[in-house]
Amino acid sequence: MVKPAWSWQFDADHLPRVPKLKLPNEITTDWAWSGGTGAGVKVAVIDSGIDASHPAVGKIAGAVAFEHDPESPEGVKVIEGAHEDLFGHGTACAGIIRHAAPEAEIFSVRVLGARLSGKGVVFAAGLRWAIDNGMNVVNMSLSTGKRDYFDLFHELADEAYFRRVVLVSAVNNVDSPSYPSLYASVLSVAAHGGKDPFKFDYNPAPPVEFGAPGIDIEVPWLNGGTIEATGNSFAAPHITGLVCRMLSKHPQLTPFQVKTILHSLADNAG
Amino acid sequence: MANSDEILKQVAQLATDLGPALTPTAHDELLRSIAEAARRIFDANACSLALLDEEQENVVFHVAAGYGEEQVRGLKVPVNQGIAGWVVTSGQPIAISDVSKDPRFARHVAESTGYVPKAIIAMPLETERGMIGVIEVLDRGPSSFAAGDDMEILGLFANQAALAIENSRVFTRLGQTLFEAAGKSTKDKDLQRSLLRIAEEPSEPNAELAELAACFNELAAEGPAERRGATQLIVQFLTYVRSRRRRG
Repeated sequence: MVKPAWSWQFDADHLPRVPKLKLPNEITTDWAWSGGTGAGVKVAVIDSGIDASHPAVGKIAGAVAFEHDPESPEGVKVIEGAHEDLFGHGTACAGIIRHAAPEAEIFSVRVLGARLSGKGVVFAAGLRWAIDNGMNVVNMSLSTGKRDYFDLFHELADEAYFRRVVLVSAVNNVDSPSYPSLYASVLSVAAHGGKDPFKFDYNPAPPVEFGAPGIDIEVPWLNGGTIEATGNSFAAPHITGLVCRMLSKHPQLTPFQVKTILHSLADNAG
Repeated sequence: MANSDEILKQVAQLATDLGPALTPTAHDELLRSIAEAARRIFDANACSLALLDEEQENVVFHVAAGYGEEQVRGLKVPVNQGIAGWVVTSGQPIAISDVSKDPRFARHVAESTGYVPKAIIAMPLETERGMIGVIEVLDRGPSSFAAGDDMEILGLFANQAALAIENSRVFTRLGQTLFEAAGKSTKDKDLQRSLLRIAEEPSEPNAELAELAACFNELAAEGPAERRGATQLIVQFLTYVRSRRRRG
């Protein structure tokens, strides 16, 4: 028997059993995430760092920082251990996630704040770390529009997808491509007008799939304070928080199942 | 190869020097008009544009319209702090309704704007070739034309400004760009090597020649009478220079 390439993957001794998604008659919020606290879910916030002493954030599970290092072969230096948030933005994202998923294990992956040179490589190294270190969800409220990084991030997004790491990314505001929000396996998010942190919309047309609160909302910021801010980057962690809740109840979900469930539970679905 | 190397180097220098003559519209003027148009559309107290410096370590406020105009121009802010820093490092725009709520943040904003505004909208200036800088609108009016679609409208201004800046930079680096292109396209290995080497050499434009080139560019945009007058002046000056050289 002549077998085409890869058909061996479907041989009886190779094909694994996969968990069946036992859907109820209708996908409901009750089934999807009610009672889910984020417990057991590891979520990476790739951003400017997280201020773990902020009352809205609380304890974080781990921290790692990446900086550009032209001397090293990878172009990146890794610094393990606690760090501060230089801007307040990572703390804002972590606070939003914490509100939705109080027991999620939040990891701060700092890629912003040191230098701008080598930014794309540093960002990619942060995402690589999240994929390699067992994160279940990754929040990326940052983006790059630089075309040179298209391939690099596409590769990482595909790898994350196959390793069941859910990537959530804010879209850029201007009408031009931004990576990694553009890829089909990524949950791309922009701000809609609503304030309810548990309500979101689904948009079938690119470039952005989900709408969540991010206009004039109060978010944690530097020095334990809060500010009222607007930006797509605050909408993404709302979706990340919901995904954490969902995964704490249904840890076997794949990124495409997560998308299916979010699609069914969107405010504009019906 | 030494002689042709020297000639190529001179041509590269000439192209770099004359780049400003070919710049589409006077660059600063365009940026100023973008800042002023944005300020008016948002009925804002101020609008400013800051560009990343060569080392990508600071953003430098280049043009400003409105309140604090004088203090802001030339102001340098490190990329690892404040709202301008956040926007260029993250590539994400942000709007804050009341910056005074956070004293540390307010100080950073004040350092980058010359005064403490209540509200700020900041948008990256970015093209698909990279990050260029940031445009900021401070304290927009409550009844502004753009209310509700602030970010989208500011995004349009940001796009225009980013493309204008990129365009102008390409022309300023004309010599380098030309030599890079020539180096990549030629099949002659020796020539290719020398072209690429020249393209890599830092080539500072000759300030006076660049200024002269910029004057020609400005004159070209004026009416035919101004152009005729300027040409006559230059021809007369050149005749005088030549006659002096002959006598000397």
